[in-house]
Amino acid sequence: MNSTISSRRDFLWQAGGGAAGLALAQLLSRDALGGMPVPRPAFHGGLHHPAKVKRVIQLFMNGGVSQMDTFDYKPELARLHGQKIGPKEKPEGQTGECGAVMKSPFEFKQHGQSGRWVSSVFPHQAKWVDEMAFLMAMTTKTSVHGPGSYMMNTGFTLPGFPCMGAWISYGLGSLVDNLPTFVVLPDARGLPYNQKGNFSSAFLPSRHQGTIIHAGSAQPVPDLFADKKYAFTGPTADAAALDLLQKMNRQHAGSHPDDSRLDARIASYALAAKMQLSAPEAFDLTSETPVTRAAYGLENPITEDFGRRCLLARRLIERGSRVVQVWSGPQGAVNNWDNHSSILTELPPIAASVDLPIAGLLGDLKGRGLLDDTLVVFTTEFGRTPFEQGSLGRDHNGNSFVTWMAGAGVKAGTAHGHSDDLGFKAEEGVTYCYDLHATILHLMGIDHRKLTFRTSGVDRRLTDVHGDVVSEVLA
Amino acid sequence: MRRAIALFLIGSTACAGAEDFFGEKIEPLLKRRCYECHSHASGKMKGGLTLDSRSGWEQGGDAGPTVVPGRPDESLLLKVVRWVDVDHQMPPKQPLAAEEIALLEAWVAAGAVDPRQAAQAEGEWWSLKPLLRPAVPAGASHPVDAFLQSKLAEKGLAFSAPADRRTLLRRLHYDLHGLPPTPQEVEDFGHSADPQAYEKQVDALLASPRYGERWARHWLDTIHFADTHGFEHDDLRPNAWRFRDYVIASFNGDTPWDRFIREQLAADAFFPEETHLTAALGFLGAGNYDSSAAATAPTNFEYLDRDDLVTQTMASFVSTTANCARCHAHKFDPIPQEDYFALQAVFAGIGKGDITYYEDPSTQKQQRRLADLRAAIDRKDPAVLLSSENQAVVADWERERGPSDPWRTLPPETFDSAEGANLERLSDGSIRSSGPIPDKDTYAVSAAADTPKITGFRIDLLTDDSLPRRGPGRAPNGNVHLSEFEVQRFRRGAAQAEKVKIRRAMSDFDQAGGYGIGKAIDGDRSSSWAIHPAEGAPHCAVFELAEPLQVEPGDRLVFTLRQWQGGGHLLGKFRLSASAAPGSALSALPAEVETVLAKAAAERSPEEKLGLAVQVLRQRAEEAQAKLPAPATVWAAGRAATNERGVVAIAEPRTIRLLKRGDLAKPGAEVAPGALSAVAGLKARFDLAHPKDEMARRAALATWLADPANPLTWRSAVNRVWHYHFGRGICDTPGDFGRMGGVPSHPELIDWLAVWFRDEARGSLKALHRLIATSAAYRQSSASQAAAAAIDPDNRLLWRMNRPRLDADSYRDSLLGVSGRLDLTMGGPSVALFTSRPGPQSTPVLNYDNVDRAGPGTSRRSIYRLVWRAIADPFMDALDFPDLGLLAPVRGFSASPLQALALFNNGLVLHSSEQFAARLEKVQGTAEERIEAGFALCYQRPPSPDELAAFAALAQAHGLAAVCRVLFNSNEFLFVD
Repeated sequence: MNSTISSRRDFLWQAGGGAAGLALAQLLSRDALGGMPVPRPAFHGGLHHPAKVKRVIQLFMNGGVSQMDTFDYKPELARLHGQKIGPKEKPEGQTGECGAVMKSPFEFKQHGQSGRWVSSVFPHQAKWVDEMAFLMAMTTKTSVHGPGSYMMNTGFTLPGFPCMGAWISYGLGSLVDNLPTFVVLPDARGLPYNQKGNFSSAFLPSRHQGTIIHAGSAQPVPDLFADKKYAFTGPTADAAALDLLQKMNRQHAGSHPDDSRLDARIASYALAAKMQLSAPEAFDLTSETPVTRAAYGLENPITEDFGRRCLLARRLIERGSRVVQVWSGPQGAVNNWDNHSSILTELPPIAASVDLPIAGLLGDLKGRGLLDDTLVVFTTEFGRTPFEQGSLGRDHNGNSFVTWMAGAGVKAGTAHGHSDDLGFKAEEGVTYCYDLHATILHLMGIDHRKLTFRTSGVDRRLTDVHGDVVSEVLA
Repeated sequence: MRRAIALFLIGSTACAGAEDFFGEKIEPLLKRRCYECHSHASGKMKGGLTLDSRSGWEQGGDAGPTVVPGRPDESLLLKVVRWVDVDHQMPPKQPLAAEEIALLEAWVAAGAVDPRQAAQAEGEWWSLKPLLRPAVPAGASHPVDAFLQSKLAEKGLAFSAPADRRTLLRRLHYDLHGLPPTPQEVEDFGHSADPQAYEKQVDALLASPRYGERWARHWLDTIHFADTHGFEHDDLRPNAWRFRDYVIASFNGDTPWDRFIREQLAADAFFPEETHLTAALGFLGAGNYDSSAAATAPTNFEYLDRDDLVTQTMASFVSTTANCARCHAHKFDPIPQEDYFALQAVFAGIGKGDITYYEDPSTQKQQRRLADLRAAIDRKDPAVLLSSENQAVVADWERERGPSDPWRTLPPETFDSAEGANLERLSDGSIRSSGPIPDKDTYAVSAAADTPKITGFRIDLLTDDSLPRRGPGRAPNGNVHLSEFEVQRFRRGAAQAEKVKIRRAMSDFDQAGGYGIGKAIDGDRSSSWAIHPAEGAPHCAVFELAEPLQVEPGDRLVFTLRQWQGGGHLLGKFRLSASAAPGSALSALPAEVETVLAKAAAERSPEEKLGLAVQVLRQRAEEAQAKLPAPATVWAAGRAATNERGVVAIAEPRTIRLLKRGDLAKPGAEVAPGALSAVAGLKARFDLAHPKDEMARRAALATWLADPANPLTWRSAVNRVWHYHFGRGICDTPGDFGRMGGVPSHPELIDWLAVWFRDEARGSLKALHRLIATSAAYRQSSASQAAAAAIDPDNRLLWRMNRPRLDADSYRDSLLGVSGRLDLTMGGPSVALFTSRPGPQSTPVLNYDNVDRAGPGTSRRSIYRLVWRAIADPFMDALDFPDLGLLAPVRGFSASPLQALALFNNGLVLHSSEQFAARLEKVQGTAEERIEAGFALCYQRPPSPDELAAFAALAQAHGLAAVCRVLFNSNEFLFVD
């Protein structure tokens, strides 16, 4: 049974000391540990079936993107505008009562061969709709930020579960050993709701958690080099210290045979040294051409931060990181997608900050051929109400929102499902995070039902006990 | 009733033939055609239905029970497989063959015998079996060794040789204290000729407070305790640490295990007089708290908050994953959904938040006495106030005060209103205000100080016919608000004033609602003393000075009387006076009481005595109240608690209903508070005298958990302790004794230990530690042996000791200890090892890098570190400090390049290397001798000649700190043989 295999593998890491005879190369990679399915060349690195996707860039819009002001065109809202037809009692999770129906203040047009409706807040993404597959009837189990963000990242509304990136790192391991496998690029203005909880490896080994990289800071990878104020460090001193350390550790391992953890620790220092060599180059955007920089919006203060992180995401996946998550918007009342006060004034600036960079990212990936094995996913924690709240804002709405995917294995130019006439509730072709996650794992060659880890009495999965691959949006 | 009889018949008389029929015909059919969408193995339960257990079809899905035994035509199962109803056709793509349908009909008609449940009958699983004390196998005199050796012998194995003394001491210190032994301790132990030297070490280590600090951490992991909420608003709980200190004290004080359970779940019910134990209720507040959901999605919030408590309580005390039965009967363990919701009902009345209590239980008793006295004063109860005891208090007061009125009027010299009211001086030394009535005002009054010593001042608010309702204030109702009473002294000829400090203030009357006299000396001009509704009568306030004022002739006193309430709440007529009587004799006596005091005691009427007693005893009660220690606060849960929503006190526990598929939208029957029905001999539903009493529910669960007959509790406790001593439990899933968990490698040993711990050790953890640590198993070498490894590669039989890697806390504490700067201060608020600045919302932005590593508290033990639940310290993360969003019954092991970078370059390690180097520099002698000292502190051994040469060369080239950095990164430092 798959579950017992994964727990046996877990034991090798946790209990240690008994894992005799494993080759060094296997100690830090996930390969061949305890009979766990391994990424197979015949499956293009997939675990259970051939993979189409090797790497994922996830764009996470923090706060709840208003679907009826972006991708979910609802002409009925104009007809019913101003009428109080929403629920009489405040639905759980909304911050206030439902106001009157509010039409979108933005103009919608059809775009591309596929004729997708996109509002005027996303003029650049609109040019890419024929590359995208839309899930038009996403839904979730909560309308509260904390649980909502947990759900879309980990599949559970409670803390303590590994996020998708951690599961992929656990399942597939790294593509290269000189860069972190799973990288998180938070908004420069702050962490999202749930802080680092959204990037946790939870009960999976901690090396699978997201490495948080503050793009633009002097030391993007934590502790990559010693602080210069410590005079006994520096290139020469580090090399001499590492040399002696490895000598000591090898001698120690020699006198403590049969303890694979000792060898794993020795190998980890060798890999750290490799990371020191490659990481600075990966994070250095100066080598990018002015044309590329402009395509990501690096020269414009509005798009600069998100654009830099999109460009960094491309460089990282190009160099072998598996999963890169790019966040738009910090937690809080402003500078994000939680537009309670005014859709008209709050949505356009945050939308503008990501729109050009996203288009730039898709263009760059396509131009470099990376889209052939890379998946780009645009998502958020929930949608918003078709009703006004207070004045011109919209409240939380877990019943309906929109996600899109683009890249390898995706049926470009399609849309699956639809919401009701108001965009209030997902109606047809309803998908949960379980289905989205199952689909992403499927594209990576993983059967979401088989990627499990036993903890506290349960073989846990990213998709809990749910999830159907959304074959309608797959090529 | 009929159904119950049918089930009874099936359960008791089902013949083997019917079971065979199910096994051979029905189960394969279900597997083939139904499991794909209706089984746990497939992970799908479409329509809420599973068919892979008897309870699955009994309970049924959203459409109700699937099978009615004996009645095929009433059974939904048959209806759907016959494809008669277009909306309900199963299997949906291709119907069953006619003979398959016939099989199902026959099975249902014969009573739907399904033996699958029988395999999960109660009590069969090891952890649920009643606890019986197994006989100790012959052989070793130490019972632990006897059990282990008998299993080893079966495989032809034996214990390894004993570890050498150095290794043993290092192991014991890390295990019991999380710190290395000093070189001197290693030296002494190595040379000791005392045959009891080792046992004495064990006892000494268990007696040290370092033990509680180390083992408390294990418990805090187990119950996911942290200093912040987690979730969207990951806010600080500044009072959570009281629980951490409680746990440390409990381990150090060796609280018996059953009592430890009772204290944490219901100290308020079991030990109401031991108020300090309120801190134990921090157990109930240990987990996450979603303030955002509490505000906007309260029903869901309460449901999931209770779920977290059920999960935590049942995993930590009885190693049971009861929460797996939230959406359906537990897939693997005999836990029906009813049990889960019965546990939810236990916590259906609690509020989470801050709870205040007295650290000293006697304070609460005094508090109660004072409350009784105040109540008697308020109702002017002569029986109490004129009792001989209280009359003695009055007499004492009167003696202390002296024979005459201590107050001397201070005749005003100059006086002024800042806002232009007319002030005039009257013949009795008072000042009257008239004319314009400003909204707010400040009066300044100066007076000569004509006594050499002043201990207090008094202001009398006087009535006057010119004032509204005779005053004493100028507001339409005669009220007055005094915002601040300030006094300055000008020494003769001095230009600068000196502020006169006031120790306390008293008044004869305070307006309710926060307008006490203390507000006039609190430095806050927006708060004030007022007298509504007692207008129309004179009042007074007295201010005792912090130090008696020594006054020289010619000194001037200036009084500033701020009246900033607004609405013309101004002084109408008042008089200032001073006293030289001892401070404790000063009191704010109304004029009529002063009159009484002028009479001899024998001449006073009972009413007059009562009036005097009211005044004096109220003052004494206030003085006593002020001397009581302030209450402490802990983040916890209980009948009432205060959080960001105010006081949360649920008047009557919520009604808990069984929720179909765990869905709040699908409530079923009400469930009463209770626990697990699978534990034989214990009542699964509680008999409560007062079922609505929230506290009684928790107390009942604690009683159920702490029951000597609860086999889970005692097995769980000894297994956790074993896990931490050996790196792995006898059952290697300490939080789960169910079918998905591990099975014990030594079932008899775990049972023997559980019974011994319960009966002989009476729940003493220290006794259990002593027993385990003195076994030969614990003292053997950790070295591997090829022959034994070939037979038992995982060392499940313990033919050698396991070799733990230091956990994050022990590693950090060792850096501090070895580098000579470990601060052993115990207890108190958690120490922030980060800097912070305001974030976009209430959660701050933390920076773990730019912290002052020599700052106050930064070298205290890691147990005192502030753990920000969802913004964890990346350095501790790298060493597998757990995510405390969830329970962490075991610590993980990672080895990754990011961990290597953290250990090699993090400021904590580098700063510690510098500090360690500075410590070694102080060693007298050669460079080599300093390196030897470093080896002794880190490894408790001398370096080999080769090592010495290599380290000396590194020190020569890059300094001693470079040597320390290598030592701190080495596996020999990080692993414990």
